[in-house]
Amino acid sequence: MRNAYRVLAYLLAVEVVVQAMAIAYAIAGLGKWVEDDGGVLNKQVLDSDSPDFKGVGGFATHGLNGTLIIPIVILLLLIVSFFAKVPGGVRKAAILFGLVVLQVFLGIFSHSIPFVIVLHVLNAFAILGLSLVAARSANVVPETAEPAVAV
Amino acid sequence: MTPERRRLLIALVAAVVVLGPLAYFWQASLLPNNYSVMDMGYADSGGGPGTMTDHRLNGISVADLVADPDRPADVNVTLTVRKERFRLSTGEEVDGYTVNHTSPGPVIHAVQGQLVQVRLVNGSVPDGVTLHWHGVDVPNADDGVAGVTQNAVQVGKSFTYRFVADHAGTYWYHSHQVSHAQVQGGLFGALVVSPPTPEPEVRDQLAVLHVYHGIATVNGASGTVPVDVPDGQRVRVRVVNTDNGATPVWVSGGPYRVLAVDGYDLNGPTPVSGKTVRLTAGGRVDLEVTAPARVELGGATALALGSGVQAAPQPTALVDLLHYGTPAPLGFDPSHADRTFEYSIGRRPGFLDGRPGLWWSINGHLFPDVPMFVVEEGDVVRMHISNHSGAAHPMHLHGHHAVVLGRDGVKATGSPWWIDSLDVGSGHSFDIAFVADNPGIWMDHCHNLPHAAQGLVAHLMYAGVTEPFRVGGASANEPE
Repeated sequence: MRNAYRVLAYLLAVEVVVQAMAIAYAIAGLGKWVEDDGGVLNKQVLDSDSPDFKGVGGFATHGLNGTLIIPIVILLLLIVSFFAKVPGGVRKAAILFGLVVLQVFLGIFSHSIPFVIVLHVLNAFAILGLSLVAARSANVVPETAEPAVAV
Repeated sequence: MTPERRRLLIALVAAVVVLGPLAYFWQASLLPNNYSVMDMGYADSGGGPGTMTDHRLNGISVADLVADPDRPADVNVTLTVRKERFRLSTGEEVDGYTVNHTSPGPVIHAVQGQLVQVRLVNGSVPDGVTLHWHGVDVPNADDGVAGVTQNAVQVGKSFTYRFVADHAGTYWYHSHQVSHAQVQGGLFGALVVSPPTPEPEVRDQLAVLHVYHGIATVNGASGTVPVDVPDGQRVRVRVVNTDNGATPVWVSGGPYRVLAVDGYDLNGPTPVSGKTVRLTAGGRVDLEVTAPARVELGGATALALGSGVQAAPQPTALVDLLHYGTPAPLGFDPSHADRTFEYSIGRRPGFLDGRPGLWWSINGHLFPDVPMFVVEEGDVVRMHISNHSGAAHPMHLHGHHAVVLGRDGVKATGSPWWIDSLDVGSGHSFDIAFVADNPGIWMDHCHNLPHAAQGLVAHLMYAGVTEPFRVGGASANEPE
């Protein structure tokens, strides 16, 4: 279970990086499409099948990852934390759970209030940092556990 | 109990506490294989009398609400729809859907008062098709909503629509079966109902907008489309937004007037310069321009009426239809409403037919646990539509035109602004009113069609109407 905790926590960290790469690729592709190819982006185009530029899949990736895959990962991490006997593992998983929920809402609210995206980015760093701390804490053998047995 | 076992027990309980509610909500959200829209959600009688009868047993069937069957048709059209690859007039090849081998489909022309009869033939659309007459207040049986007013027409089968075009204006038709894919793919066309005596010196010009796989087009052509008209010619440009998002429309080269919205003429339209009209998804706007001029359609396409006019950038100021034109009698008194409904759009996490996600909510509930707005024929109905969901929603009520009374608490002071498609931005609210004068079961949904597929759908139901059709099941009806 400690291994599962560690893997899920690292997976969460990797997902944060994937999210950043996906959205950055999409915005870079959009920029080129508008500047070089004369593409016009308005609501009519945005809400149709997406325009076909390099990187357009980054938007869908970011959305799917953020609203489905990452919530599943953090839910699994929370459940696993109950069993994993990682020092402070439940607390870290619960805080990460809260941060991920906050992150989804910050992402959604940024559509109404653009400045909220700044908090979304800041929170992403918090999730990345804490998930790495959580993963590494799973390396430590808890004091209450039996003497180490080779696994 | 050893500490070890106690620990395990606590962990198990904690896991159940986290997963139990999730499993319950997941299970509760699963839709049956087939269902009647009348069994969806809960009845909302809007402060009017409730209806105690069982609608499935008593009353008139949706399928019997038709135009006079003995009256011969004045306009007769056959439309054969196919799933196929086709070429836009500017050369781009597109995978999608056609009507009589073209997209947009043929324009249907009628004169006000004529009976229009359209035979729909499914040539090769595997999911089945229907035709909805967007903006025409047809009899309910001809509304073309799969699973609500008819069964989807399967390959090789046909269905005949009949309705009296009793109101002159700009309309369109489109499939209402798997509509989020079929309309996007091209299964639509325009319907123009002319007044008996049109203004002789004004020319008519359609501008049907659609984005095919990222290619913005007007009348099936990308880029700027030239229209040969002499200088000084007045042109009524009928712009139809067949897409899922609102489109800015403006005019380069001179002032224009907004003659009509959603098929209904505005009263006392005044000349407009340096402003943009925001055209709702599914909505129509008729503009009067004088050549030479360019009608800019979203920025990627335009109609060039005559030559020599340069494209002007999009004006940031908007034409506010709340205060445009001059007031006129409505024909009913919305201040004495028989029923008042709330249509509050939000967004929250949950399950939609077992799929986790952030879904649109109506009055706090997720589909299918949404209100069924119940009215009786003759009622004056008010509706307060508010949007807290973080995204704009073009709300479309079938079978009726409603008048806009106000926005964000500010009263309308201009021409009566009749709508069938209303763009409700996030953080905004509208008050609308209409007369319940067209019995049946009518969809009241978001015309950003993927949003409808994500559950932003409710219905308006008349007391005493029964529903013979079902969503899902053997007919594979999937209206959204």
